[in-house]
Amino acid sequence: MLTQFEHFAVAEMLGKPDSPPRANGTLCFGSEWERTSFGIALALAKEGYFEWDDFRDELIASIGKWEGDHPSDHSSWNYYDQFLTALESAVVKTNLLAISEIRELFGVSGQANPQ
Amino acid sequence: MSERFKYREDREAHNAARVRALEALLIKKGIITDRTVDTVLEYFETKMGPFNGAKIVARAWVDPDFKRRLIEDTPKAIAELDLPDGMAGAEGEHMRAVANAPGIHNLIICTLCSCYPWPVLGLPPYWYKDPTFRSRAAREPRAVLAEFGLPISEEVEVKVWDSSAQIRWFVVPERPAGTESLSEMELEALVTPEAMMGVAVAKAA
Repeated sequence: MLTQFEHFAVAEMLGKPDSPPRANGTLCFGSEWERTSFGIALALAKEGYFEWDDFRDELIASIGKWEGDHPSDHSSWNYYDQFLTALESAVVKTNLLAISEIRELFGVSGQANPQ
Repeated sequence: MSERFKYREDREAHNAARVRALEALLIKKGIITDRTVDTVLEYFETKMGPFNGAKIVARAWVDPDFKRRLIEDTPKAIAELDLPDGMAGAEGEHMRAVANAPGIHNLIICTLCSCYPWPVLGLPPYWYKDPTFRSRAAREPRAVLAEFGLPISEEVEVKVWDSSAQIRWFVVPERPAGTESLSEMELEALVTPEAMMGVAVAKAA
């Protein structure tokens, strides 16, 4: 029934812990980096670089870790923070990119920190 | 400026740089191109979404014959419109429209999000899959609609349609009063996903 990967991928998440924010019938991105993070992950899974379910496992784990670290104060919560962390982790685990490459490009101002 | 806001700004800049680095590296390695993100998100942003439902409803408002055909054979009527492929086939082949009318208000619910009429309505809101919403909407639709800010008078019959793998329902809301001078395109802007689910009505802007 679900012939479109995009449809399948998002429908799988609905009602689950990693359900993405949405408004008025569409995905809801607060800024460009959120949209880009989502688009890259979906495209890589669509092209078969990793399984969407495996990526979701990363994402759910990342969300769980955040919740464990912030048991009472959720004011700093951002879904796509966790999404981006899971994406970095996925591209490293599947050997698409090396941690060293990400860090090198990222420079000294910040640090990409895939687990 | 308080620390509270500073954190937010830092995160925005920090994450924007993180994702730019990822995208640049993936492009450099030929894994994706600078068009990839737009291409994959096009599906949600321009192909499948509530803008399609809005076009269908607006046409039904301006063309009573189309509305009649839409209720009689929904996929066939949708196929008359110049909408993206897949609207009336594959994902949407079991689509059925029900029309609100004086004395009738329709509400759609569904158990599985995969049965949501996504090509027409887009992604369901978070509460839609909530078992409480679904069971209460089936049992006491008037009470649920009142909580949505839509009290339905006792003279109006409320019909609840449960979408399934076989049939995916959507509502053709009534055309709001005072919109006689609006063009079809202006009318589209008045059609919300909520109105096509039956938890709201279309209102003049």
